Amino acid sequence: MTAVLTHKALLTHEVGSLDKPGWRVKAYAGQALTDADIEEARSWGERLQVPDYQKLLELLRKVPLDKGQKAELQRWSSLYALRLLESAGLDVVYDGEQQRTEMYDWAVSHSEGFERRGSVRAFDNKYYTKAAVTGPIKLRSPFHNAEFSYLRGFAEAELKIPVTGAYTIGDWSFDEHYFTRENLLEPVRDRRRKRKAARRQFILDIARNVIRPNVQELLKLGAWWVQIDEPGASTEADELDLFVDSFNATVEGLDGMFSTHLCFSDYNLFFPAIERMSGCRQYAVGFANYDSRELGTAEDKRPGYHVIKKFRDLSYRPILGLGVLDIHSDFIESPELVRDRVLYAVKVFNDPARIHVMPDCGLRTRSWKVAYEKLKNMSAGVALARKDLGLGS
Amino acid sequence: MPINIFAYQHGLYPRSERVVAATRSLDRGRVDSGAVDEAFQGDQARFVEVQQQAGVDFFSDGLIRWQDIFRPLSEAGGPMRSAPLVRWFDTNTFFRAPDLSQAGAAPSPAGAIVPDRTVPRPAVLSLPSPYMFSRAARVGSRDRNGVMVDVAERMLAPAIKAAADAGCRLVHLEEPWLAYFGIESGAWAPFKEALSSVRTPGVTLMLHCYFGDAARYLEELHGLPVDGIGVDLVETDVAELGTRWDKDLLIGCLNGRSSNVESLESTVELARRVTDTVRPRNLYLSSTCELGFLPTTVAEQKLQRLGEAAKRLKELVSV
Repeated sequence: MTAVLTHKALLTHEVGSLDKPGWRVKAYAGQALTDADIEEARSWGERLQVPDYQKLLELLRKVPLDKGQKAELQRWSSLYALRLLESAGLDVVYDGEQQRTEMYDWAVSHSEGFERRGSVRAFDNKYYTKAAVTGPIKLRSPFHNAEFSYLRGFAEAELKIPVTGAYTIGDWSFDEHYFTRENLLEPVRDRRRKRKAARRQFILDIARNVIRPNVQELLKLGAWWVQIDEPGASTEADELDLFVDSFNATVEGLDGMFSTHLCFSDYNLFFPAIERMSGCRQYAVGFANYDSRELGTAEDKRPGYHVIKKFRDLSYRPILGLGVLDIHSDFIESPELVRDRVLYAVKVFNDPARIHVMPDCGLRTRSWKVAYEKLKNMSAGVALARKDLGLGS
Repeated sequence: MPINIFAYQHGLYPRSERVVAATRSLDRGRVDSGAVDEAFQGDQARFVEVQQQAGVDFFSDGLIRWQDIFRPLSEAGGPMRSAPLVRWFDTNTFFRAPDLSQAGAAPSPAGAIVPDRTVPRPAVLSLPSPYMFSRAARVGSRDRNGVMVDVAERMLAPAIKAAADAGCRLVHLEEPWLAYFGIESGAWAPFKEALSSVRTPGVTLMLHCYFGDAARYLEELHGLPVDGIGVDLVETDVAELGTRWDKDLLIGCLNGRSSNVESLESTVELARRVTDTVRPRNLYLSSTCELGFLPTTVAEQKLQRLGEAAKRLKELVSV
C-alpha cells in the first residue's frame, strides 16, 4: 500500500472482527454440521465468488478434522471474510480476524507471562476470556505473520492489520505479578500510588516486549498500515497519558503507517493527552452509536459527531476514521444516512482527504447478512457523498 | 454492646462457561431458549450451593439472568429500542442506558425480579439505587431529580414490596454513581425523598457506595433514611469512617475487580479494625463491588473467603 492511497479522500475500510460462521465454529470444535451449515458455506461462497469454494464444502463433509485440516478451515474462513469485505466495496480490508480466537486472547496466548482465568461478560451475552499476568512478559512468537502472509496472497484490495494495543491488553488483564497484595489498612492515597506505578510498568512492558516486536515482524514481511486497537483506552480517565506513552513505545521510530482505533468512550477524555501522539496518522473512532438516525448535515442532526472538531484541531493533522455504522444494532443505515454523516464530517474538517469512512467498530456481533448489508450501504453512501462533493468515483 | 456480624454477596454474579456458551449460541440461533434456561438453572443452583458452603446470612440469586443492573426494570414496558451502550464506570463492562425520557416510569415488573423459591430464605435482592438510576438513564428534557423520585415510587418501591412478600429481608441498593462521580448539593433532598418511598417494613435497606471514596459524604449519608451504608474499602480509608455509627455498616473488603484472593488473616484484621474503631450497630461483610468482573472460579474463591472471614469475626467479637 502507498501513502497515496491512505490520503485518498473518503477512503473506506473495515475496523476489525467479523462473526465466525457457524460452519467454521462447529467444524473447528468437531461438532456435526447440519445441512443449513453446509448451505451457508455454499451460498456465501457463490455470492462472494470465492475461488474453489467447493473444496471447502468437501472439507466440511470430513468433520471431525485433524490439526492440518483445522488450519485449512481457518484459512477458508479468512478468505470468505476477505471476499465479503472486498465485495462490499471497501478500499482497505483484512479478514475479520477469522484466524484469531479473539482480539485479547489471541495476543496473550502468544505471549509469555499470562495465564487464562476464564470468561467475563462485557455486555448482554457478549464475553471475553480474561487472563492474568503472572510473570515476566515477552513475545513468544509473532502472532500475525501467518495470517498476513496468507492474506497478501489473495487480497485484491489493500490490507490493514489490526493489532490489539498494549493499554487494552493491560486493562483487560488481571494483575497477579506487578501488584498482588494490597493492604487495605494502608492509606488509600499510598495504595493508589503503588497500584498506578505497577500498572504503568505492566502496560509499558506489554508495549515494549510484546506489541512492538510483533509489529516489527509484520513490517519485515512488508506490512505498512498497522491499526493499533485500543477499545480500552479511555477506561480510566486518569491514565490517558499512559495510553499515549504505550502507543508511542509501540511505534516510535518504526517505518510504517500507524493508526489507532477507539470506541464507545467519552472521546472528550482523550484531549489533551493525544496531542502527544503525533505518530498516529489516523484515529478510527466510532460515532454512529451516539448519533441520530435522521437525515441531515446540520449540527443538530448529527449529535454523535460534535466531538470530531477536537480531532480536526490536533496540530499534527491526523486523518479521522469516521465510524458511520452502529455495530450494536441490526438497523441497516441507508446510503443517504451514511452520506449525511460523511458530509457533516467533511464540512467540519473542510478537507475530505482527512476523512476515512468505516463502521464504528468490528462487526463481530452482527450476522454476516447484516454486516454485508451495512457495509454495502456504507460504500454506496460514500459514493453519494463523493458525488455531492464533486470528488469523482 | 456486641456488634452483630453478617455476610452476603450482592449484585451481578458471573456466568459460568456453560452459560457463556449457551447464551452465545442462542444469539447465533444455534440453540433454543430451553438449553439456555437449563444452563441458567444450573448456575443458580451452583451459586446457592457456594453461598451455603460459605455460610452467608442472606442468599441471592446472583441476578444471573439480568443483562445489566437496570434491564429488568428498564424493559418493564417492553424491550428498549436502540438503547446506546454506556461504559459501566471504569470497567470493561457496558450497560444499556435506560430510557426514562417519558413522564411516569413504567410499572415495576415486581414478580420477575424476586429470587425464586430455589433460593433459600432469608434472601437479599440487589437493585439500582434511585440516584444512580436517574443519572445513568436517558431522561430527555426531564429533571433528573424528579426522575429519581418517580423511579423510586413507581418502579423500586413495588419491587421491594414484592421482594418482602417473597421472603427477602434485605435490599441492597447499588450506588456507585455517588462515590465515583459525586452528587450536587441540591440532589440530597430528592434522594432522601426517593429513599423514603422505598422503605418497606421488615426489610433492611442498605445503600452501597462503591468505586469511589464514600467517606467524603458521610455526614449526608448518615442523614438518609436507610438502615445501613456500604463502603468500598479499596477506595475508602477505614480511618475516615468516623466512630460509633448509629447505622449499620457494610464493608466491601474483598476486591471484586482483582483476581488475587485476599488472605483470611488480612480480611479479618481489616474487619476487626472496623469493629474496634467505627463500632457500627451491625457490621456486614461483602465484596467491594459486584463480582461479575471475575470468572466464576475466582468469584467462588472470594465468596468462600467472605464466609470464612465472617465466621472468624463472629467468633472474635463474641469473646
